[in-house]
Amino acid sequence: MAIYSFWVFDRHCNCIFDREWTLKSNQSSGTTNSKLNEDTAKLLYGMVYSLRSISQKLAGNEAHNEIRTIATGKYRAHILCTASGLWFILLSDLKQEDLSHVLRYLYGEIYVKTVAHNWLSPIDFAESEAEKRGQGFRKIRNRNFLLRVEQFLGPMVN
Amino acid sequence: MSSSTNNTPVPSTSSKKSLKVFSDDIWKNKTAKINAELFTLTYGSIVSQLCTDYERDFAKVNNQLYSMGYNIGVRLIEDFLARTALPRCDSLARTSEVITICAFKVFLNVTPQVGNWSSNKDSFSLFLEENPLSEFVELPMDAAKELWYSNILCGVLKGALEMVQMDCDVWFVNDVLKGDQTTELRIKLNRVLKDEIPAGED
Repeated sequence: MAIYSFWVFDRHCNCIFDREWTLKSNQSSGTTNSKLNEDTAKLLYGMVYSLRSISQKLAGNEAHNEIRTIATGKYRAHILCTASGLWFILLSDLKQEDLSHVLRYLYGEIYVKTVAHNWLSPIDFAESEAEKRGQGFRKIRNRNFLLRVEQFLGPMVN
Repeated sequence: MSSSTNNTPVPSTSSKKSLKVFSDDIWKNKTAKINAELFTLTYGSIVSQLCTDYERDFAKVNNQLYSMGYNIGVRLIEDFLARTALPRCDSLARTSEVITICAFKVFLNVTPQVGNWSSNKDSFSLFLEENPLSEFVELPMDAAKELWYSNILCGVLKGALEMVQMDCDVWFVNDVLKGDQTTELRIKLNRVLKDEIPAGED
């Protein structure tokens, strides 16, 4: 199993968390909430956004058709979009066909318990109008969130 | 991994029955239970403390309960969606079913009745036959006129619906605590909010 990176976007089109692993052999390698990933985050958002609108258009009148995975020649993106507008995205190698249970766990057991149920953490990461529509810069920095993401995804890196 | 990560089949048809079976399963198997009286009494102590703090200015107490509810709703919706994995609703009728059959069941173990649809189908009422918040409550004379004891519910619904892009007004019409026949809560959809798109894309 190999996963390359994990991303969370909020309903204001902002990337509120990113974690990229660079060395397969080292679970703690790579970057977390890195400024350098800003452009990649925007591109990733754009790719999912476009394919998501296409999948919804192609569904016709049967309203609900969320995109789940996108495969390219080099990697596969696994996507979970919630009704509240959060996107959880995992990039993995091509062998992983369906990581939706992993994404559900990241949402239900990690995000909900360490961010949504944590009243001292913001639930909305855009503090003003100027930080909405993809212009925001705030990230999830909760220690428990970071720790549990590391514990859960770390073993899947290689 | 806990049981909530299993891929529960989401009810795909809009039939009420499958939603009910689905909700009962979540309530039975995936929800930790607490003592209802503890919950009722905790809420009672919050309301009574607010009445003291605002010197029995019940309009202010109503507002405060509403805004506390709103703050709960915007967080509770994530919990709800994580538990149920339901997609957005395609109609307000569906929304009313999800609220009553699923959300009230999962969080409070009651199922309110839906009724009083407006002619253009943009508002409806929830009739709460049992209300766990007001189990042992009798309002004193001065409070009976103005206080909406369970006003926190309106705030919760408002906040939660806003997070799924439905801008609604939510308020109490009747309350048995005030001597009315029923406890009726009204939800009116103002508009469906648009999903944001990144700046420069429109």
